[in-house]
Amino acid sequence: MNPDPVEAPIARLKVIGKRLARVDAKERVTGQAIYPADLSLPGMVHAKILRSPLAHARIGGIDTTRAQAMKGVVAVVTAADFPAMPVGSTIPMGETGYDMWMVAAINMARDKVHWIGQPVAAVAAVDLHTAAAALALIDVEYEPLEPVLGILAAMAPEAPVLHEHVFTKGIEPRPRAPSNVCSRVVISRGDPSAALADAHASARLRVKVDTAHQGYLEPQVAVAQVDANGFATVWASTQGQFTAELMIARMLDLPASKLKVVPLEIGGGFGGKIAIHGEAVAVRLAQKCQRPVKLVLTREEVLQGGSGPAAGALIDVAVAAQKDGGLRAIAGTYRMDAGGLPGMSPSLLMQASAALYQCPNLNLEGFDVVTKKPRTEAYRGPGGIQAAFAVEQAMDMLCQRLGMDPLEFRKRNASVTGSLMPIGTPFPAIGLDTILEAVGRHPCWTDPLPPGAYPRGRGLALGYWRGTSMTSAAHITIAGDGRPMVTMGAVDLSGTRSTMAQVVAEEFGLAIEDVHVQTGDSKSVGYSDGAAGSRVARTMTAALVEACGDALRQLRSRAAEKLQSAPELLHYADGVFRSPQPSGAAISLAELMQATLTDGAVVGRGVSSKLPLGVEIGAHVCDVEVDTDSGLVTVLRYTAFQDVGLALNPMAVEGQIEGSVVQGLGWALLEGFDYGADGRLRNASLLDYRMPTALDVPRIETVIVETPVPNVPYGVRGVGEVPIVPPAAAVANAIARAVGVRVGRMPMTPERVLGAIRAAPGSSCD
Amino acid sequence: MKMLLGCTINAQEHTVLVDPRDTLLELLRERIGLTGSKEGCGNGNCGTCTVLLDGAPVNACLVLALEVAGRDVVTIEGVARAGELHPIQSALVEAGGTQCGFCTPGIVLAAKALLDANAAPSEDDIRHAIAGNLCRCTGYGKIVDAIAIAATRMREG
Repeated sequence: MNPDPVEAPIARLKVIGKRLARVDAKERVTGQAIYPADLSLPGMVHAKILRSPLAHARIGGIDTTRAQAMKGVVAVVTAADFPAMPVGSTIPMGETGYDMWMVAAINMARDKVHWIGQPVAAVAAVDLHTAAAALALIDVEYEPLEPVLGILAAMAPEAPVLHEHVFTKGIEPRPRAPSNVCSRVVISRGDPSAALADAHASARLRVKVDTAHQGYLEPQVAVAQVDANGFATVWASTQGQFTAELMIARMLDLPASKLKVVPLEIGGGFGGKIAIHGEAVAVRLAQKCQRPVKLVLTREEVLQGGSGPAAGALIDVAVAAQKDGGLRAIAGTYRMDAGGLPGMSPSLLMQASAALYQCPNLNLEGFDVVTKKPRTEAYRGPGGIQAAFAVEQAMDMLCQRLGMDPLEFRKRNASVTGSLMPIGTPFPAIGLDTILEAVGRHPCWTDPLPPGAYPRGRGLALGYWRGTSMTSAAHITIAGDGRPMVTMGAVDLSGTRSTMAQVVAEEFGLAIEDVHVQTGDSKSVGYSDGAAGSRVARTMTAALVEACGDALRQLRSRAAEKLQSAPELLHYADGVFRSPQPSGAAISLAELMQATLTDGAVVGRGVSSKLPLGVEIGAHVCDVEVDTDSGLVTVLRYTAFQDVGLALNPMAVEGQIEGSVVQGLGWALLEGFDYGADGRLRNASLLDYRMPTALDVPRIETVIVETPVPNVPYGVRGVGEVPIVPPAAAVANAIARAVGVRVGRMPMTPERVLGAIRAAPGSSCD
Repeated sequence: MKMLLGCTINAQEHTVLVDPRDTLLELLRERIGLTGSKEGCGNGNCGTCTVLLDGAPVNACLVLALEVAGRDVVTIEGVARAGELHPIQSALVEAGGTQCGFCTPGIVLAAKALLDANAAPSEDDIRHAIAGNLCRCTGYGKIVDAIAIAATRMREG
């Protein structure tokens, strides 16, 4: 019946692979798209959050009497209004679950505060002006404790312990004393020490990466309403309606059956909207005052409040090669600055840093470390950019020492299908060699660098991101006019409704205009994990291929009855079932549904779980000019090569790659959190935390390579994460080729670049 | 104490009761219900609230509501006419110049201000015109393309 889509020649695809406009683009350009902050409900009140002014302190007591007495205030909550969350509580999510003790701490501090900006109380009032004024009437007694801000300071044996319950995971036997090192991960093979000592050439590098922010333009927001039966509805800007529901329910000790999360349009997430940030607080306020509550974070709260900047890092790497350029060893120590609460395991970023090279000797050791700064969260390919900034620069230094072309070096050592990943399992189909061949042929690599007023350089860097699969669900009903109506469990973070409409149109042989796709709320569609880890397009494609097959089977048996034929004899194409010749009788989906609507609904169901990974691989080439008077680095040209398996919509794929690269360039050159000695963020605004504008970046060129993933419908890979991984390293390598220095610190701001130039041996500047 | 304010918004006369502390953005979003203009930062750094005030682009979060008394405001809701998209809007749709969409209304108005004043902008002119509008999704390339396409179409009628 349905040919295996993976085997289908790509040339036969009619809708998939086309450059189609987003199905929701018109609402976006006319201002009609509804984000949760646009919602207004009758009787709605407004919430504000009181936040800790100290980076580390014990909370002696909180007195809300004066705030509660203020005219216009309708509810006040503190940690006392939420059940205490035991250490070790989790909710289901992917393979590991999500730590609910942490989620509770992000949303409302209990007993202790761990960063400036952590919530300690919240107020709902008739308007925002009143709510803001009421915050000043809440009296919190703090006993200040010593803040520990630096990674190395927090790792030192004599450092004050920041969380009494944190014992380093990954050390045997289990340590007896608590530590600021939350976890330690080791990946090793062979004998890297001997390989480093014996190698013909080696390179060592230490890099420090400042914390940076996802920078989604829409601040976190929640609108909560509780009905007379106690059923709560939350309209949220979230990457996952089910994850949000589980978190809210657990924080409030509310049965999940008494709660619904409705995802509206999301104004960017990039990892920062996986966890809840105030949704449960808004529900509790709504329960207390029996009115709808709207909570919108300010930009300062977004940046400083712990809604998720990305981890900073301090990384040491050493790499070594034999004379012919054969890579012998990669050794690395990766220390990740998680901020005020334990962060993610460093395993993924360690894998990312070594996956693309066939290397017999590895010793990678990673640490997740807590400090007294805003708690961090995943950010697009989390950890990848930090790791690549270290390793891809070290590889470039090694090339310089070997006198070898950096592209030839990569070709010599590239991982291929079947070579071992750092964790020891063989790579499924990957197209790194195809990518490197494409780089070598492209003008961005073969064109000579045109001369400029200042020194110029060209840099190359690779990127890898593993991504994840987890689970996705969708169902399709067939409307009375025969058209498929799709409800999916994924929010639309990256044009998902549009690409999934393409998938369903392809499967049904219809036009994209004939398919309607909506995101379901957490009570109207089956459980799906959140939009993270470049998983949604791949796994939702798989779920929808299954759902389409299910719906078409049901339609086929109805058509068979109408056409008086055996179901398996019918031919289906382009929305029409046909009997075999000589009868040739036909019935369209529209006719079929008109004739059989009252026979019962047609519902096609699809679930994807444990889909093979769709690892992402890219190579980036970057030309820069370095103003040696000011240290300003201008990116002149930037080309990103990426294997996407199969581009469901090349325009959407380009958009993902271009945006991801520009985020990477922002962190590379402009973006970093600047903390004072007290742990206060000194650049908590979008003027001082400078994200790239249209004037800061060139046009990003993209080259799409397609190596389909086996056993995945249409062979789709993840797309959105890996393009953020190489930019900082590509820029750093270009700077090194231009002016002979390595800045060693991200972002590579003009001051730091100039400092590195002036500190270089032989510099004429004093 | 609230005050009465008269102004023109999207060619319609409005008389609105405002709090003197209200910004133009609050007037639009909270008092009139025109929620197409977004608030990304509240202090003039992101451009998501860009509207036209007497034809010039402004950050609505930095203008007090009372300052617009007797003046003319155009928001994203007033750009398409009778259901027909403005060429900037249709070009953004076709060229993939909108992703999450949160910056898009502001970009449309910044671009409209540019094309109203300069029918044949260079790429540099376009990038300058939207330099006050942050976009975190697109990397700007497809937005710049769209504005250039719109300029060409508008010149050629």
